Amino acid sequence: MKAFQKGYVVAILLAVLTIVEYIFAVNFDNELVKFVGLSAAALAKVGMIGAYFMHFMRIFKTEEAH
Amino acid sequence: MAVAATAAAHAHGHAHNRLQLNRVGLWLFFFSESIVFGLLLTSRFFLMGVDREHVDQQLGLIITIILLLSSVTAFTAETAIEQDRRRLASWMLLATILLGVIFTVGVGFEWSIAEFNRKEVFGTVFFTMTGIHATHVVTGVIMLFLVWVQLKRGKFSSRDHFAVSGTVMYWHFVDVVWVFYYPALYLIGNVVTPGQ
Repeated sequence: MKAFQKGYVVAILLAVLTIVEYIFAVNFDNELVKFVGLSAAALAKVGMIGAYFMHFMRIFKTEEAH
Repeated sequence: MAVAATAAAHAHGHAHNRLQLNRVGLWLFFFSESIVFGLLLTSRFFLMGVDREHVDQQLGLIITIILLLSSVTAFTAETAIEQDRRRLASWMLLATILLGVIFTVGVGFEWSIAEFNRKEVFGTVFFTMTGIHATHVVTGVIMLFLVWVQLKRGKFSSRDHFAVSGTVMYWHFVDVVWVFYYPALYLIGNVVTPGQ
């Protein structure tokens, strides 16, 4: 059950970041600030997807259960 | 007895090496794909700067959330097969396929209502980026369907499920690409009209 829960917490964080991105972009006029803010949000999302959904660290593991 | 134990350990080691090779190969594939998608992303800013034309914001947000949801169902399918919960894995693969189809239809609808055409700079950028991404989504849907068929035929278990993991990882990669494409095409930039 723990494995599922961790994924769902990450998914909720991704959804929140996506909504924040949208609200930030729609309400902000300064293009430079918008570019930096949205790029940072995208990198944070990709980091979470890579680490928790794509299991990036598994390629460095030498042995595991299955 | 000792010989059998040694043979079993050798077989386990061989299987593990193959799994690691599969994973590394898949990540190399992702890196090579990243170059293609990265070049297209760069061309968007090279050709348009921080300008863009009008796109349907609500539709963009909706299809983004649909793709994000499909990543959750794909993750659930992979985690379920890791725990031998085949029925849940099967349903979650089907849900992912359905969400992928809805996303593709959404992109098609966006194309049909676009206020620009492919001869304009933004049109070229938009249709190329979303088109190549949608092609990858369709490829992912086909692969997920093939994995689902294999799962229904009794293949895959907690000990042998790389096909499921690999396909799900590919699906997440497609989501990662959209994480960059969505702000680049829908959110960043001053809205300009053609000819400005």
